[in-house]
Amino acid sequence: MFTESWLSVGPTLDECIKCNICTSYCPVAAVTDLFPGPKYAGPQAQRFRENGQPHSPDHSVDYCSGCRVCNEVCPSGVKIAELNARARAQIAADQGIPLRNRVLGRNELLGKVGSIAPSLANFSLHNPVSRVVAEKVMGIAREAPLPRWSTDGTFVDWWNSREDQRLQSDKKVVYFHGCATMYYEPFIGRAAVAVFEHNGYEVIVPPQNCCGLPMLSNGEFKAAEKLYDNNLRKLGPYAGDGFDIVGTSTSCTLTLKEEAPELLDRHGEDALALKMAVWDIFEWLRELHEAGELRTDFERIDMVLPYHAPCQYRAHRVGKPAMEILSLIPGIDLRESEARCCGIAGTYGYKVEKYQISMEVGEELFSFVREQGDEVEITACDSETCRWQLEHGTDLPSRHPIEILAAAYGLYDLESRTLIAR
Amino acid sequence: MIDLLVIGAGLSGLMAAYHAAKASLSVRVIAKGLGALHWDAGTIDVLAYPPDSAGVVNRPLDQLAALPPTHPYRLLDEADIHAALERFAALTAELGLPYRPAAGADDFVVSENILLPSPLGAARPVFLAPASQHAGDLGRPEPMLIVGFEGLRDFYPALIAENLGKLGYAARAAFLPFALLSERRDANTVHLAHALDDPARRRNLAVELKRLAGPGERVGLPAIVGLDEHPAALADLEQQVGAPIFEIPTLPPSVPGIRLYQALRRHLLQLGVRVEAGMEAVGFSSDGGGNIQWVETATSARPLKHRARAYLLATGGILGGGFDSDHTGRVWEVVFDLPLTVPQQRSQWFRPLFLHPDGQPVNRGGVRVNRRFQPVHPSGEPVYANLWAAGGVLAGSDPIRERSLTGIDVVTGMAAAKQIVSSQAIT
Ligand code: SF4
Ligand code: SF4
Repeated sequence: MFTESWLSVGPTLDECIKCNICTSYCPVAAVTDLFPGPKYAGPQAQRFRENGQPHSPDHSVDYCSGCRVCNEVCPSGVKIAELNARARAQIAADQGIPLRNRVLGRNELLGKVGSIAPSLANFSLHNPVSRVVAEKVMGIAREAPLPRWSTDGTFVDWWNSREDQRLQSDKKVVYFHGCATMYYEPFIGRAAVAVFEHNGYEVIVPPQNCCGLPMLSNGEFKAAEKLYDNNLRKLGPYAGDGFDIVGTSTSCTLTLKEEAPELLDRHGEDALALKMAVWDIFEWLRELHEAGELRTDFERIDMVLPYHAPCQYRAHRVGKPAMEILSLIPGIDLRESEARCCGIAGTYGYKVEKYQISMEVGEELFSFVREQGDEVEITACDSETCRWQLEHGTDLPSRHPIEILAAAYGLYDLESRTLIAR
Repeated sequence: MIDLLVIGAGLSGLMAAYHAAKASLSVRVIAKGLGALHWDAGTIDVLAYPPDSAGVVNRPLDQLAALPPTHPYRLLDEADIHAALERFAALTAELGLPYRPAAGADDFVVSENILLPSPLGAARPVFLAPASQHAGDLGRPEPMLIVGFEGLRDFYPALIAENLGKLGYAARAAFLPFALLSERRDANTVHLAHALDDPARRRNLAVELKRLAGPGERVGLPAIVGLDEHPAALADLEQQVGAPIFEIPTLPPSVPGIRLYQALRRHLLQLGVRVEAGMEAVGFSSDGGGNIQWVETATSARPLKHRARAYLLATGGILGGGFDSDHTGRVWEVVFDLPLTVPQQRSQWFRPLFLHPDGQPVNRGGVRVNRRFQPVHPSGEPVYANLWAAGGVLAGSDPIRERSLTGIDVVTGMAAAKQIVSSQAIT
């Protein structure tokens, strides 16, 4: 337990001044008695998890969604969400990991298996009967917004198919697509590549693995370690050579930068180099813009666009770069959501005992979208699971900001989610 | 590049951001976390116990000239202090959260401190109070009914009533069931305030309060009467109960302070100013000419640079986190490592008594500034040409003992912003 990384998290609990600001902002504690709030589950309960004491005073910490709103508001720098993640890992080590959590943690495997015969997989998963079975057998909530496998190939299928059309350039960028873009939403990756190339960057897509976040949040640290180390091996050399590694999935980039090294004790030079090389795509685009190098040959898009910066994004602590970039596009009336969390928090809202909580947490965001009026046709959010939840809660399609940007360059059709040939 | 980066999202930082944005500066506010106002009673305490005073002073604005010359208030003309307080009151009225001085006083210069009940039943001197606290004025004759809720921690009506009684104020206590407010087993003051945003819950509460309140009594509640819908909630409750209602600020999280924070933050957003929490300043750079070039905040990877023409340090004092210290007794200012007047010997920080009537020396220390609110070296030279400071980080007062914390915030926040607006860094 008292590992090197523990030192970066554990002692922060002594900074807690018991002000309860975290509890006042925690979106989960606001809607359920099952979770007593960050202060109690985090710094307070931690006192009972140390020095050979019974591992956790209770298991309510399992209801923490990991959204990190508490970290954001704590005046004392207590790493509450990380304390909670470790406590969950301890519970998992004590009690074993339920099948359901193992399945949800294996995003990459699920993606691969489903992609073999995506239509069949979609049918098998998404028919009402199988959803009831999944709920009864595994505890995956039947209403929860599970994704659909891409039926026109994976992202890398597409990437390989256009080998001869790729832009060659002195300016190069490494793209981290993550599992969701790979298997469910390859169009996000296509939009990203279009934007990179439009700005004169040659894109490199090295072999890569799941970032490991689903396993980290389900307390499966051992399995997550393997994935992280694989990525370190595969991406490390690019980081070492000074390439920027840019991702479109904000939770993946957060995991590669901070969560995985911190929770898994990866503090070597290679891990540090990788951390410093990874960027979220809008964080990177903002840098480009500040250097005066972002192309702004935008077409006008007339629309009211509610934008939600997901909690995973805010955990990067880089502000809201997508807001800054999208606001450059003429015609877009951006409406900024101040909702704390959409509720889904990765795989949290898929779990039958947490589905209702996740919908109640999300209500803050759903009602914000409704308040923007009938003209709203789509919403925008940087995180895939949050978009699925947003669509589920509002019945409106949701897009990644990179899709909006690609559309503003005239490269992408927002409705069909396809590239426009130029 | 923006015009002004404010570091700290407490009252001084927010007031400075407001003033600067009104003067058309582009402003951003960053903070490590949310603090200060979330612990605060939500009142503006200008001055109640100046150094060497025997008791509470009535008219704080009469006493400013007698303060030590290093006191933050003494850096300003009295007319500017009055104007800043009046501007604050006007702003809160505009935001629908009106703050007023003692009833009947419309001239700030002559208005007096009022005494309001604290959550322990002590008499708390206050200069400007939000409307919801005014009926608690201990100068008023009506007897008080203090109502608490079974299971709500840190608010004990019997204790409050008993202590008020000892001070000679007529008060009695009553408890209502927690279930009246919430189906939850447990909820804090913020959750309960949010619950009372719902008119149906207010009606239930009003019925019970009406039953409890005797003729001629005023009713004191923990400060949970609505969050986003607070003005409507208060008006509703008073009307349905038919008695004056007042809120008693609770221990943290303190809803009146949070309401003020939220109202200011929303207003700032309308003025184009973002308040970003979770951004801890971890470094900065200055050029050869004595100008700060950027401030860096920690992110999930590489630090984020914030470039501005001017910087305002509004991180608070020891309480707010503007200073840190280690076991050797070394104390430092956390962002720019500015010279501090805090005693560098830990043994000199405290007097032998925790509640010593003269306060604690450590609270008096801080960043010394000139009359333009620029941090200075002991020689009096500004440390950086484009750096200003305001609020709890300033040296020269013991805001806890004096009860001047929020007054200093409002007044110096505005004053520093005024200096920035007319400074060379901007023009
Ligand atoms: S906000 Fe931070 S300091 Fe306050 S109770 Fe929570 S963990 Fe402790
Ligand atoms: S991470 Fe989110 S759900 Fe968990 S304690 Fe913090 S605020 Fe609450």
